[in-house]
Amino acid sequence: MSYKITEEGNVSTVHLDGEIDMDVTEKAKEVIMPLIEAGKEVHLNLKEVQYMDSSGISVLIESHQKAMELGTKVILKEISKSVLKVIMMAKLEQILIIE
Amino acid sequence: MTFEEHKEFPVDSASLKDIRTFAREVLAKHEIFSSTSDDVVLATAEAAQNIVKHAYSGEPTGDTMRVEISFKENQLKIDLYDKGKPAIPKNIKPRQIDDIKPGGLGTFFIGQIMDEVIFKTSASHDWVNHLILTKNY
Repeated sequence: MSYKITEEGNVSTVHLDGEIDMDVTEKAKEVIMPLIEAGKEVHLNLKEVQYMDSSGISVLIESHQKAMELGTKVILKEISKSVLKVIMMAKLEQILIIE
Repeated sequence: MTFEEHKEFPVDSASLKDIRTFAREVLAKHEIFSSTSDDVVLATAEAAQNIVKHAYSGEPTGDTMRVEISFKENQLKIDLYDKGKPAIPKNIKPRQIDDIKPGGLGTFFIGQIMDEVIFKTSASHDWVNHLILTKNY
């Protein structure tokens, strides 16, 4: 997994790339959580994520919940087909914020 | 059509990518799996992840796990063997459908994708746990 962060005002966009599994979830959290804790609105661009398993989905859930708790939000953007399929399998498409 | 392919992998989260590659390559050899391959790869990797996470509690180990993929009489079978802590089948539960929290998702995915999931312990002299995932075609 690799990533790139862009900032615009109070919005931080994290462009994730590659495969997100148990092996990289800590790294993903280390990237995303500080942005949420800083009160940023976080956009996760998942266009280049080819694979995500339950560990990756857990990162999305935890990020979403942390943001709600702190009064901000995490928005999932440009979700790849394979990741959307897993989100839907987890029945989270109505829970997570997807644009 | 019948076939059987197997491979052993170190019990480590870094092996998950290799396990997915192995499963993808085996399934790609047969047209019958073309529409379900991604799902079966996910189920296989989730099962392997559960071995790393639960049978070994994420602790470093020199052990390996064995992944067998076979097809016979229109049934795809994925067998996973490990030497970790014996699984207690009644404790292995998927999350509830309306339970929005991390955890239990992998088992939930496996149940969604595969037709049957069987846990066996004391699988053989060489292995402790044996998980059998099947899908009918």
